[in-house]
Amino acid sequence: VSKRKLLPTRAALTLTPAAVNKIKQLLQNKPDYVGLRVGVRTRGCNGLSYTLDYTKEKGKADEEVLQDGVRVFIEKKAQLTLLGTEMDYVEDKLSSEFVFNNPNIKGTCGCGESFSI
Amino acid sequence: WLQSSLGPVRQCLSVASTWPIRWNSSSTQQRPTEMDSFQDQIFLSDTCVKRLSEIMQKGEFLRVQVEGGGCSGFQYKFSVDSVKNKEDRVFEKRGVEVVVDQDSLEFIKGATLDFSEELIRSSFQVVNNPQAEHGCSCGTSFSIKV
Repeated sequence: VSKRKLLPTRAALTLTPAAVNKIKQLLQNKPDYVGLRVGVRTRGCNGLSYTLDYTKEKGKADEEVLQDGVRVFIEKKAQLTLLGTEMDYVEDKLSSEFVFNNPNIKGTCGCGESFSI
Repeated sequence: WLQSSLGPVRQCLSVASTWPIRWNSSSTQQRPTEMDSFQDQIFLSDTCVKRLSEIMQKGEFLRVQVEGGGCSGFQYKFSVDSVKNKEDRVFEKRGVEVVVDQDSLEFIKGATLDFSEELIRSSFQVVNNPQAEHGCSCGTSFSIKV
């Protein structure tokens, strides 16, 4: 595929400042790891759910998102489902979690963890 | 216990012939639930106790409720509270308190309250609930065993 045919690209995934800070903090003491890898798995009441892991290297088919100095890799399988998603980090007293605001999804489960596209 | 409880029953029976309403009301006294309450408890995991001691101010405690909702019928709800009601049961471990109201306790008795820490999220969870049949992936929602 020649580069000319590509449409103007947007980042597949955008990170909110809260997410950037949290990822920076997570990776601070782990020089082995280059970033986080986001994936999806068939699981949950609504079909799919997100996964998040540390990663030591960029996988072959991974899409790399570099924003504000943090690197997030998207698994091949998750690239279509995640396109245009905003990754946020929400923290309160009782829980803290990464939240994916995904414009592609049709439905979610009550807890927001499981979704369908 | 048998003797002491037979006393009032006999009394009630004698009253019952003349005043049936009185007999009805006194037969609903709380004795059976008091007996059950020895088993009616929830367990707090170490991570849960540790996290609660970190986040809770003096006088605050974690309230666990069960509500209808979620994809499996019921869901757990966690909140920080500082007011205890009459119906509440308090579970205390190493200085932290978890409060469950009597109605919710019916659905989670025997379960363990845990604080799970993962990369993607860390949150309080009810695990090993003997009343729950199967849950949602997130563990928030569940259906009960019939």
